[in-house]
Amino acid sequence: MAKIDELKEEARKLLQEGKVKYIIGYTTGTDGWSAVPAFIRTAEEVDRIVWDPTCVHNLTKFLVDEKRRKSRSRKPDTRPVGLFVKGCDSRAVVVLLQEKFINRGDVYLLGVSCEKAGVIDDRKLAQKLKGKKPMKVELGDNGRIVISTPEGTLEVPAEELLADRCLECRANFPVVFDVLAGDKVKRAVEKPYGSLEKIEKLTAEERFKFWKEQLDKCIRCYACRSVCPMCYCDECVVDSVNLSVTADTSAEEKAQRIKWLQRSAESSENFVYHFVRAIHLGGRCIDCGECERACPLDIPLRFLNKKLEKEASELFGYEAGFDAELPALIACFRDEDPQDFIR
Amino acid sequence: MAEEFEPRIVAFLCKWCSSAGCDLAGVSRMEYPPNVVPIQVMCSGSVSPLYIFSAFNKGADGVLVSGCHPGDCHYIKGNYYARRRLNLVKKLLEYVGLEPERFQMSWVSAAEGTKYTQIIKDFVKELKPLGPQTKLRRDR
Amino acid sequence: MDKILTKKALARWGKKLRDSRVFFPRLSADGRWDYVEAAAADELTLDVRQTAVPPKKILFPQREVLAEFSETVEGTAKTLELKEALPEDGSVVIFGVRPCEGRAAWLLDKVFGGEFTDPYYWKRRDQTTLVGLACGTPPSENCFCTSVEGSPHSEEGLDILLTDLGDRYFVRALTEKGERLVSAARDLFQNPKPEDKKKVQAVHEESAGKIKRQLKEARVISEKLTGLFDSPLWDDEAMSCIRCGVCTYLCPSCHCFDINDEIESASPLQGKRVRTWDTCQFPDFTMHSSGHNPRPDKASRLRQRLYHKFRYFVEVYDKFMCVGCGRCITLCPVGIDIISVLDKVKSHGS
Repeated sequence: MAKIDELKEEARKLLQEGKVKYIIGYTTGTDGWSAVPAFIRTAEEVDRIVWDPTCVHNLTKFLVDEKRRKSRSRKPDTRPVGLFVKGCDSRAVVVLLQEKFINRGDVYLLGVSCEKAGVIDDRKLAQKLKGKKPMKVELGDNGRIVISTPEGTLEVPAEELLADRCLECRANFPVVFDVLAGDKVKRAVEKPYGSLEKIEKLTAEERFKFWKEQLDKCIRCYACRSVCPMCYCDECVVDSVNLSVTADTSAEEKAQRIKWLQRSAESSENFVYHFVRAIHLGGRCIDCGECERACPLDIPLRFLNKKLEKEASELFGYEAGFDAELPALIACFRDEDPQDFIR
Repeated sequence: MAEEFEPRIVAFLCKWCSSAGCDLAGVSRMEYPPNVVPIQVMCSGSVSPLYIFSAFNKGADGVLVSGCHPGDCHYIKGNYYARRRLNLVKKLLEYVGLEPERFQMSWVSAAEGTKYTQIIKDFVKELKPLGPQTKLRRDR
Repeated sequence: MDKILTKKALARWGKKLRDSRVFFPRLSADGRWDYVEAAAADELTLDVRQTAVPPKKILFPQREVLAEFSETVEGTAKTLELKEALPEDGSVVIFGVRPCEGRAAWLLDKVFGGEFTDPYYWKRRDQTTLVGLACGTPPSENCFCTSVEGSPHSEEGLDILLTDLGDRYFVRALTEKGERLVSAARDLFQNPKPEDKKKVQAVHEESAGKIKRQLKEARVISEKLTGLFDSPLWDDEAMSCIRCGVCTYLCPSCHCFDINDEIESASPLQGKRVRTWDTCQFPDFTMHSSGHNPRPDKASRLRQRLYHKFRYFVEVYDKFMCVGCGRCITLCPVGIDIISVLDKVKSHGS
């Protein structure tokens, strides 16, 4: 497991010298073992920062909040924000840089390598523990996850507990950083989109049945959208904020207003919402898996976004989040883009 | 006697080429099935994926997007963007289990009235055996 | 009315209710517990952990059609017909309701009742019988019902309370609806013996002690909230909130909604007026048509949630709106813990 003592030293220095506004990292939550995001403002608080396989969250989302906060203030504090990033998180930062949503100088990246491991899926952990309560979760030296419980210590091969996205990860260490903890080692991934095969193999009818069953569960809480760093639009397709209704709004005006989908959690509307989100993330999603983790109904959203990630790679040779100079996927084209589907 | 199913196709036609080609078919009195609801857009590159999802949501049995041939776009590059973006839309719709025949794209120039009629004839023929589109349609 | 029902007879009770819609929590293929409508072949069982979505989804569904409107045009004359669309008739029985969820139903009754009654909610509520199950063990790591004046065997809001005694259930019918449900299958039930009643008491007393999390002095915290409206405490606590809305969507007592017109055709005008779930955690929840938003930031929205649960309801109904189920703690993607925030309120300034 990468040791972050040097990063913490760097963090203390940055805060003491006033070089950053605050640092966003991980600390242990109220349950005593799983990490939660933490906002560190003083050098003394840096001791709260932890790094272990429960550091699942994509902290890049808070850069979006920071930008909003700055835009509302008359004299914004232009110092950068310190941010702890894993490989996947750093790709999200690159996408925000690609789209000029933030400048490189807005963020000071404290990168941590996953060193061929990754972060755990808490559902897999719960299944493994069968009711036992964990007190600490660490990555052991021999590639096993070590879990301390009141009844003793459990050692499990990492592959059994790692999040599915970690098993297919192509960015085991940050692609952009200011300081890095841990070794730059890559895990060999045989089939980067292998997890899609079990759905792609089904017939069209079976695929529709699968997706209908899953998307019928959706209650349109929009947690998937809220947790995604790439969903930063002030006004989303689903929230027609600017079309407000007063007592004087006539029935004709209401009827003719463009409404792409209804708020009700009906099957057809849920399909449109998830389609639109997947398309808007085409060539931008870096598979941090947060949407699936945040969903309270366990809808397998990664499989929707990953399909377009695969098509972007296979059809257009495009990979999101590695090169900050690349234009967005749908803002560029090649002469040799496939057109065999066009009559 | 049961009425034969007549598919309803929504066609997004770019003003400068495909819509003109469609007009040419009309002015030349070419016969082709009347199942199309044509919507003129300025450029195939301006067709948002939302239009296509919305068409299926409202009950369209088939959706066609037609633009200028590559290199001939009135806005130089619009159809190249459309080619990329709508390829993604097609892949997504097929992945979710919608019949691949229901969403189609074509290049039709202002002189290709005949090609346009042939595309519509083929489209209607392919849609008839599939029946009405119920998978993405909103229940009323 | 107190009765005994053997566990073997439970499935037969479920089968006798074929002319009602029956719901009970089930484990789905992807490992989630959910209140699902029983099909004819399903066997009623009551082993349950906490479901993600509470049974409020049955009394107060995500989508409720309030009215249908359609316009008829004759020449130049247009007439608009408006038809109220009440929920359909039909009795509903929900098994396995946790006491905290029953209390949430009691709280929703107060909101949708009182001086102005909501006919849609009450049509459903009057047709629904809630069969509760006392919590022998806490359904969730984050339960804290005893801290908000609830208990794992509370009877509020329920029509029947079942207590698990091992091989049988102690059945207490609490309302007329509950007694009717038991009487309709009276041959399945026996009368309790004195040792049954003793065992029930023992189970109840033991279950309160198994709850792991405590929020101490909730009433003191509630009082303290009155002075902390403008405190900078809320900015700090809300820093990691991503306003996803999961805490409020899945809270058993949250009930905010939005009303929209779903237009099916513009001319002639035809459509439905529909009520859908909404949440105070969305940024545009309090957006006025002038463009002003009194709760533009996460701090004010988190404060609103806590005040609604722990202050405003206490002022109006002398009861906490929070039932201590712990869903908001378990499901928050960034680990915001309502107990921890309220503990900070208690120690603030001291």
